[in-house]
Amino acid sequence: MNPLQWIPMPVVVPLLAAAFALLAEKLVPRRVVDALAVLVCAAVCVACMWLAHASAHAPLAYWYGEWGPTRGPVLGISFVVDSAGAGASAFIAGLFALTFLFVWHYFEEVRAHFHALMLMFCAAMIGFCLTHDLFNIFVWFETMSVIAFALTGYRLEDAALEGALNFTVINTVGSFLMMAGVGLAYAATGALDMALVGKILAERHADVLACGAFVLMSAAMLIKAAGVPFHFWLPDAHAVAPSPVSVIFSGVMVPVGLFGLGRLLTIVFAGVPAVASLAHGLLVPLGAVTAIIGGFMALQQTHVKRLLAYSTVSHVGVMLAALSLITVHGTAGWLLYMLGHGMVKACLFMAAGMLAAVLDSVDEFELYGRARGRPVLACCFFVAGLCLAGFPIGIMGSGAEAVEGAAKLTGDDWLGPIIIISSATTGGAVLRAGVRIFLGKGELPANKSPLPNESERGDRPWLLMLLPALVLVFANVSAAMPLERMARAAAATFVHMPVWDVLSGKQAYATAAVPAEASGGEFSGWLAVGIALVIAAAQLFLPGLLKNRVLWPAHISIRGLRALHAGRVGDQVAWLAAGLAMLTAGIVAMSVLH
Amino acid sequence: MLLRLLPWLAAAWLMAIGIYGMITSRHYVHLIGCLSVVQSGTYVVLLAIGFVWHAGPPIFYDHPPGTPAVDPVMQALVLTDVVVGAAVSALLLALALQLHKRRQTLDPEELEPVP
Repeated sequence: MNPLQWIPMPVVVPLLAAAFALLAEKLVPRRVVDALAVLVCAAVCVACMWLAHASAHAPLAYWYGEWGPTRGPVLGISFVVDSAGAGASAFIAGLFALTFLFVWHYFEEVRAHFHALMLMFCAAMIGFCLTHDLFNIFVWFETMSVIAFALTGYRLEDAALEGALNFTVINTVGSFLMMAGVGLAYAATGALDMALVGKILAERHADVLACGAFVLMSAAMLIKAAGVPFHFWLPDAHAVAPSPVSVIFSGVMVPVGLFGLGRLLTIVFAGVPAVASLAHGLLVPLGAVTAIIGGFMALQQTHVKRLLAYSTVSHVGVMLAALSLITVHGTAGWLLYMLGHGMVKACLFMAAGMLAAVLDSVDEFELYGRARGRPVLACCFFVAGLCLAGFPIGIMGSGAEAVEGAAKLTGDDWLGPIIIISSATTGGAVLRAGVRIFLGKGELPANKSPLPNESERGDRPWLLMLLPALVLVFANVSAAMPLERMARAAAATFVHMPVWDVLSGKQAYATAAVPAEASGGEFSGWLAVGIALVIAAAQLFLPGLLKNRVLWPAHISIRGLRALHAGRVGDQVAWLAAGLAMLTAGIVAMSVLH
Repeated sequence: MLLRLLPWLAAAWLMAIGIYGMITSRHYVHLIGCLSVVQSGTYVVLLAIGFVWHAGPPIFYDHPPGTPAVDPVMQALVLTDVVVGAAVSALLLALALQLHKRRQTLDPEELEPVP
């Protein structure tokens, strides 16, 4: 069987299934559409795993309409499958399959629209990971965004509408920036194929156009990936979207933005020295700042979905820092971290969805002690919380260790403590919420203003909601070893793709050798778990601690941080403009230095 | 020289005033309009990139292939951009309409922030 012919299938099949779901919704029973969605995503997941296996030794290129480089100038659009892209696609499809199980019976009244949108969402993300054309990556970026907007505002409630509006506005500005960036890259090189653009840019001095293209495109990817100061849309969108949609947003959509940034850094702008120094000089610290701000904001939240959203910001910061090291070890670390974080965070959002479904709230004070009789869900929640806190068993823990080891190799030892802070704050926040919700322990404020109820359809099979969450936690804890090997092999191909050679026929990776392990050791993980437990206990039993006279600077700074995040859409756009200015200043400085 | 720079300056100006308008906007419909202004900036960028002096449209129906023409790739990109813009504006206006039905206001300042 020739794997080449199968490359478009992971995108084509979900799109066809989406069309079928819309056409057939009146003809076939509802369960058929539900089952079809699960089966299609599972099949795509298996197909992508097979593609990852087939591309282990050489990347596979597929030219649509056979408009390949053999016919003179490159006009065609290609998908190039490498192990990292195919592996990420397999993870995306797998998470969609589990989410479809989770939403069994969820959206009775809206017929098959939800399934059609989700299947197209899946296709768009996989296309984004596999494509090798700058304009095509914009198309998938935009498809992904528009579907995400529609899914966020789905429930047509007050909060959902406002969150969806802000999300749409910020991300649409992002796609316009991307569009302009793609245009500039074309103006600089006359090509749109990522590898060809990279080759042309590497052969000559970087000019204004190339630098402008990088600033615009990386800003767009950072908006999608929610790096500071582009992150303000994320908590709004994640908190108001239906929980199965939040699962996908946090688990894969936001990290996929980083995947795009990785492609820019390792293929398109790999030969531009100013960009490489900008990544190390600006994007790594930016990731660290994102990790800290997200973590401390997560500690302040009592709305469980909003808490999880801020923790996503924090973990994305760690991934951004690891990715911007642009080394094989850093890449292995963030791929592993992405997998582990995706599983853990998806599980936690599913748990939040289950609470909303059976107890009609996702606020930890409203839910105080009301989930006592649900031991399996509680176990799931606490194990996921411990994983988030850096528990050194499981994929997320290995990812954190790998990132720390990679940072040591490039002399960025200071990233280690940042990862510990990120893990400890986010894990501590989740564990604190868990103790209040499932154990009913801890201080309860007297004057708590009631929040609007957040109910989700409750008469769904409890076991089918619980099963995907259990699968995710179990996979995260038990599958670390094989996935770690795969991530390390995929990282080597991701960083050292001999881009243009691949397309002109010499199909082999430059370094097929898997680098030796570089790990930060288990100590940091245990330390982070310890700090997380201390933080959780302090928040539960010493609520007035920060008002203490000795700690007032912390109190003031946290209040300032909260005030910053209470801005309206105009403020968010202003921050976006500031971020763009920061990236521009950075690239100008780096160009002058070179 | 100035004539060659003009489209870039115009694009930068459109993007800058669009973003300024969004930052200071007190009405969501106005804000969506400003978003379209930003988008117009990208149209100008793309058209300027593909433009060739003294060349016709890239349609070789009544003149032979090989005569100078502007870059059709950029025009295809602009077309895609227009479609995207239409879809997003429609979605945004629909959301704004629903929001107005429920809250009787479209001023971002008056809409209560989520705690």
